[in-house]
Amino acid sequence: MSSSSLPPVRVSKALDLLPDVEAVAPLRALLVSLARPDERAMWSSSGPYLTLGKRGLQPEELARHLSQAFHQVTDHLQVLYRAYVQALEAQQRNDGGEVVAALLRAGRLEEGAGRLLQARAWYDVAWHASQALQDRRPEVEVLGALGRLSLALRDYADAARCFQRSLALAEAEFDQAGAVTACEGLGHAALWQGQWPGAQAWFARGLRLAEAAGDRRALGRLERQLAVLGGKQGDLAAATEHIRRAREWLEAAGAPDEMAQALITQGHLDAQLGRHVAALAAYREALAWAQRSPHDVGLELSIRLSLAELQLEAGRLLEAEEEMRRAEQVAIAGSLTARLVQVYTLMGILRGRQQDETGFVFFEQAIELCRMLEQAPGAEAQVYLDYGLFQQRLEHVEEARAYLERARELFATMGETVKRERA
Amino acid sequence: MSVEPASSSPAPRKEGRPQVRVLVAGEDGGSLLQTLRQWADEAGCVMEAAPDLPHAVRSLAAERWDVVVAVLGERADEELTWWVDAMRGAAGGPRLIAATQNPSMGLVLRAESLGVLDLLALPLRKNDVLGALRRVRSAAVEVALPLPEVEHHTVGQYALVGQSPAMLEVYKLMARVGPSTATVLIQGESGTGKEVVARAVHLHGPKATGRFVAVNCAAIPENLLESELFGHEKGAFTGAVTRKIGRFEQAIGGTLFLDEVADMSLALQAKILRAVQEREIERVGGGEPIAVEVRLIAATNRDLREAIAQGRFREDLFYRLAVVTIRLPTLAERGEDLVLLTAFFVRQFAERYGKRIQGISDRALDLLGNHAWVGNVRELRNVIERAVIVASDNTLRVEHLPDEFRGEEATLADRPQGALLPLVELEARHIARVLAHTNGQIGAAAEILGIHRNTLTRKMKEYGL
Repeated sequence: MSSSSLPPVRVSKALDLLPDVEAVAPLRALLVSLARPDERAMWSSSGPYLTLGKRGLQPEELARHLSQAFHQVTDHLQVLYRAYVQALEAQQRNDGGEVVAALLRAGRLEEGAGRLLQARAWYDVAWHASQALQDRRPEVEVLGALGRLSLALRDYADAARCFQRSLALAEAEFDQAGAVTACEGLGHAALWQGQWPGAQAWFARGLRLAEAAGDRRALGRLERQLAVLGGKQGDLAAATEHIRRAREWLEAAGAPDEMAQALITQGHLDAQLGRHVAALAAYREALAWAQRSPHDVGLELSIRLSLAELQLEAGRLLEAEEEMRRAEQVAIAGSLTARLVQVYTLMGILRGRQQDETGFVFFEQAIELCRMLEQAPGAEAQVYLDYGLFQQRLEHVEEARAYLERARELFATMGETVKRERA
Repeated sequence: MSVEPASSSPAPRKEGRPQVRVLVAGEDGGSLLQTLRQWADEAGCVMEAAPDLPHAVRSLAAERWDVVVAVLGERADEELTWWVDAMRGAAGGPRLIAATQNPSMGLVLRAESLGVLDLLALPLRKNDVLGALRRVRSAAVEVALPLPEVEHHTVGQYALVGQSPAMLEVYKLMARVGPSTATVLIQGESGTGKEVVARAVHLHGPKATGRFVAVNCAAIPENLLESELFGHEKGAFTGAVTRKIGRFEQAIGGTLFLDEVADMSLALQAKILRAVQEREIERVGGGEPIAVEVRLIAATNRDLREAIAQGRFREDLFYRLAVVTIRLPTLAERGEDLVLLTAFFVRQFAERYGKRIQGISDRALDLLGNHAWVGNVRELRNVIERAVIVASDNTLRVEHLPDEFRGEEATLADRPQGALLPLVELEARHIARVLAHTNGQIGAAAEILGIHRNTLTRKMKEYGL
């Protein structure tokens, strides 16, 4: 019997054989992206509970794709090392601005690959180098990058510090674009910490600066943020007006990815207003815009998750499940493990609505995936929170209490409260 | 983009026909739009244009369309998926006609599986376009048939439906085994109704007043299954945050249903064997044996004797479980039960979703009858539930069926049954089918086809699969 006719190896078993070391992270990502569900299991009674761990993998197929992984790794390292050499050459020429720019490129490369801590290390070096310069614009840029990264790492206080300093420098240098970015970042940091008036003030200030600069993309983005804020504050009339303007600016600016983001917000607002059909239409149009931009898998996944949540809220469980399965496939094919955690959490919530005890398998899978991620206490806390609510729905009081307590502990380590996170 | 000169094919007559609304979408406007507008007019269709996918999606949300003609770009395969995705849920269930510069057999098969009405080559030919539009019209003519009355036997929230000889044999065996407490093994392909039969056996047995506890052994990760079955004490392992009562204990005085029992590890099979023999269990991390008086029903879609031969299933456990074996027929073996099950599910879901569906169209019923039901009754139930959800009037029609059914219709519509296919098409279709069966595994597919993998790879490339 040739190896190809043997049954595939389960992903859970395959991952058990792979040590948790950084050197094999690309191999792990490749393995996940090649995982396929067993067609025969799709219609079995365990079919609805299929998760990544129960998918199959043919070692032969992994072997066939290894060269692709090697190329990706070497390409990544080549660009990274080249950026460093460029920084060195610039240093030799005493071109401090280019030193910072090269280091920033390296950081962005790491950030793009999802290696956030490595990215921070490059940005920190870049920041150090930028402080010695007379021209402060490189520092504005580095601080903007550091702020955005801190937002991604949910370190909101640090993000706010970076953007504050960046704003002060940008204003001193008359760097309007830098100032707009800083205001936007400060608004985000406030928004995520539940400080609505602060967020409102920063976004409004950013909007005025963007108007003065005639930056249509920034105007669109900031109007969208104000719409998000309006939605959170329950001021849906204002939010609707902001999102209308955001869509106008972004469509005129020809920014398909940001247009898709605006439509996601539009969909959320429509859902809040109970306009299910309109929300559905907004998400469908968002998908269409997302496909016009260079394919951003993360964006597509956000839209699909929004669609699934909408169907779930509307009690259309069959459609919700179908959409979740599409999202799962997108996340697996794109190796977006962090987003896969969201997909499985949502699947668990769906089973909870159906009073289906076996739905716990999705939360267990999500927790396991969180442990594969670098720096994911927020994601893990959210899973435990939803797991606790799932157990509560099934009237498993003790388990519910234990999981909610675990969520509280994890949120506390991040300096957040469960309440804030839910808001 | 170009258009070939129109041929002399006669256009369908306009009189007495519903007007078909066509939305043409593509990056390129100009001459193609003009020509299409002329052809659409000749065919008695109303045509409008959208410059791109996002604008087409807006039009689909705002108005009802019967057909969307989409011009695909360089990434035709990917774009086809986008279009199908974009049209999902659009009012009126419009059909997609896709046009591409580079049609391949792979793309044609992909289009069929996605339910695309037709895939046309650019430059467009008048005959092809008018032919596709004619098919939209003919598909619109469906005759509603009343749903037959169905006798069924209620089993909790489920029901046993069917009068086929194969099912009558199952009913007889259930009647014989029900009154005893004998352990029962139910075998059958996925979706044949093993859990429903298990519930029915429980309800007709001496433990009917006790609980029916079902565990899906394949759904639960191996490392969690033991504690799920036997329970655990608090702190027995990382994650054991509270004491947990296992499914065996929950089922005391009732029935424990072990579904997909072949998926258990050998170590766990040994523990199950002990529980069955000794009638007692121990919680994980606990030292005290707990007596468990339960009726055990197991089910599997695998051949357990083969699993025993391969050393994947314990023979002693098999004989403990298979005191009585009930084999369930596939849907294909149940003949006219398909119609009864369809009618039953239509009524069930119509009531659940507040719909007033009284009939099903002849074409929809034909498609259901021709479908290869890999997932048996579960798949049928799923298809009908979905159809009932999207149906807006009192008849289930082809447009309410999933995309792949509409693709099957597209294949059959212009081709009489039994028509002879060119050898290359036959070969391409067969390769595609085998690849689907092997989940895309080239090595396994080559083995089934009896050809070298390099030959298969070459043919896949040739056919664009």
